[in-house]
Amino acid sequence: MAEAGVDSALTAYETMIDSVTDYEIIRLDPEGTILTWPSGAKQLTGYSAEETVGQPLSMLYPSDEVPAERLLGELRVAADKGRHKIESWQSRRDGARFWASAVLTPIHGHDRSISGYVLVARDVSEAREQELAMRSMEQMLDAITDYEVIRLDQQGVVRSWNPGARTLKQFTAEEVIGHHVSMFYTEEDRRSGLAEREMAAAARAGRYETEGWRVRKDGSRFWSSISLSPIRDDKGEVTGYVKVARDLTDRREQEQLVQRQRDEILELSTPVIQVWDKVLVLPIIGTLDSARAARLTESLLERIAVDQAEVVILDISGVPAIDTDVAQHLLKTVEAARLMGTTSILSGVRPETAQAIVHLGIELGRLRSRNSLQDALQLALRLVGGGSADERVNAHA
Amino acid sequence: MTPLATAAEPRAPGEAPTLVQITGEADLLRVRSTLRAQAQVAGLGLTAATKLVTAGSELARNIVRYATHGQGVVLVETAEEGSRRGVRARFSDDGPGIVDLGAAMTDGYSSGGSMGLGLPGSRRLMDEFEIDSVPGRGTTIVICQWNR
Amino acid sequence: MLEQVPLQRLGHTIIVTLQGDLDDATVERIERAVTDEVAKVRARGVLIDVSGLAVVDSFVARVIARLVGMVALLGAVSTIVGIQPAVAITLVELGVPMDHVHTALNAEQGMARLRRMWDDTTGYRR
Ligand SMILES: Nc1ncnc2c1ncn2[C@@H]1O[C@H](COP(=O)(O)OP(=O)(O)OP(=O)(O)O)[C@@H](O)[C@H]1O
Ligand SMILES: [Mg+2]
Repeated sequence: MAEAGVDSALTAYETMIDSVTDYEIIRLDPEGTILTWPSGAKQLTGYSAEETVGQPLSMLYPSDEVPAERLLGELRVAADKGRHKIESWQSRRDGARFWASAVLTPIHGHDRSISGYVLVARDVSEAREQELAMRSMEQMLDAITDYEVIRLDQQGVVRSWNPGARTLKQFTAEEVIGHHVSMFYTEEDRRSGLAEREMAAAARAGRYETEGWRVRKDGSRFWSSISLSPIRDDKGEVTGYVKVARDLTDRREQEQLVQRQRDEILELSTPVIQVWDKVLVLPIIGTLDSARAARLTESLLERIAVDQAEVVILDISGVPAIDTDVAQHLLKTVEAARLMGTTSILSGVRPETAQAIVHLGIELGRLRSRNSLQDALQLALRLVGGGSADERVNAHA
Repeated sequence: MTPLATAAEPRAPGEAPTLVQITGEADLLRVRSTLRAQAQVAGLGLTAATKLVTAGSELARNIVRYATHGQGVVLVETAEEGSRRGVRARFSDDGPGIVDLGAAMTDGYSSGGSMGLGLPGSRRLMDEFEIDSVPGRGTTIVICQWNR
Repeated sequence: MLEQVPLQRLGHTIIVTLQGDLDDATVERIERAVTDEVAKVRARGVLIDVSGLAVVDSFVARVIARLVGMVALLGAVSTIVGIQPAVAITLVELGVPMDHVHTALNAEQGMARLRRMWDDTTGYRR
């Protein structure tokens, strides 16, 4: 193309360019000096034509991010390649920055020498932020290896692939990103447009769940559980989907579970005895491991709630040995009962146990203890009945 | 970032997990209700469920407080092992991570002037607790509570 | 979120009812409302009914413990009633210090407890 032709065409376009307000479209001379400054450029950056025309392009870029030498380098690349894309920060007049996506195109004279450049730039800060957020989420999802969590765009094209997806479907990211999700469907489902219908359902309902056959790379099928959730932009438009899937092939039996639960209920029925209105006794018999102790605590506290018991007696005379864990557990039970508003009394502590507890340095706090069940009962009755106000206050304190 | 549409419907065993995105304090309610619904599906008792929901609340609040922009994700699913069931939840963020894990797991250690009970307390409440944190990269915590 | 703060007055006592799943902001709003009210009506006692709370995490527990401390500084006594069994175990495992918090099984016992505590702080002996 002749130089004059290019120039006049550009001049003719300049008025039109002036009406474009969301792009910055400027002409540069071969050294990168700004020649034109249409209103779009003004709008985007806040600079006026007086401030920019005749200045080097580098004035539009923060020098710490994009030094002037780099810009000259970019101009050379554009000259070589014919068209060059730059994504970087640009500065505004007020000192703020925006993430700009710019395309530099060289203008050639008739002797093939460079007579200048056109720079078309756009503010893509928002898109970039979304992209970064997406990427950081994808990084988190990368840590997940036991199920597939992938992102699709609004057409159903795979945009991200995690290790779980790789394990499940055997494909690598390179093999699937950019391809339509229907590649994992059976021939029949593909033909019937199942993937599209699923996405439409997810967009409508906010979420779609299903189970079905899917195909691995080696052609084998597996039964998969799938959930599809739409991703929406600020305006509520669906911009893509997150798909979470897992292999259901080895789902476990349920009857077994029910049986085990039944056994457990039997074991849980350690007696809690109501000896007096508002007084409960929990006689603990046999060895206590942490699991059993936890279950005892649970049923005792439930019972306190039901009976609104003010005092409980934990009788441990039937427990052969109490180690640190169990002692600690007993004290936690006492504290939990206190939080509910109930006073606990320990009874039947043997000398060995007392020594053990104290030697272990366990904080005894406000633990009340009596060495026989009878003494414990007497104290309990005083607390709920005829006890003096002082005794009651102390009992709760 | 635009919110993912997520529902708090519980997931049956073997089903894909529910994803709850955390972007602020208001999401703690969703984390708690999702965990509670899931606890029901897994047949957790009231105490086990309460412990799970409480630990989840602690970990989600840590994300709001300490992760970058208070953002992270929670994945909740039904776990199965032999014939027992449970709820497994994974809390991930790509925030600053924890430099001294040993300290952070100790009662009373807090960089935020708080009680420093969230992490060690959650570990005590849960049947399983795994923490993986890389300074500068983020933190992932997986907890699991079984029905027996 | 709650539209209004769930406070009631009964003689010299303020009754606070917490229920549902509360977000942090609501919890802090209630805390402020209670202390304001205690000062305004010169209440002697505050009864905090948490029987409707299915979960108390360290945040809520801390606000409650803090509230108890502030109420004491304002010259009143307080008690927490109705902590659910599962919540009680959870709080103990979590390790939230609740030593200075007085508790009672239900509102009725809580009111009696408040009266005794008030008599105690004023040196009254039956
Ligand atoms: N997701 C996270 N990312 C980065 N740091 C974290 C994260 N979670 C916890 N931490 C660090 O670990 C410390 C301990 O956490 P923990 O939840 O035990 O206590 P806390 O949040 O400070 O106090 P509390 O939970 O009692 O209110 C925190 O103070 C913080 O420094
Ligand atoms: Mg915390």
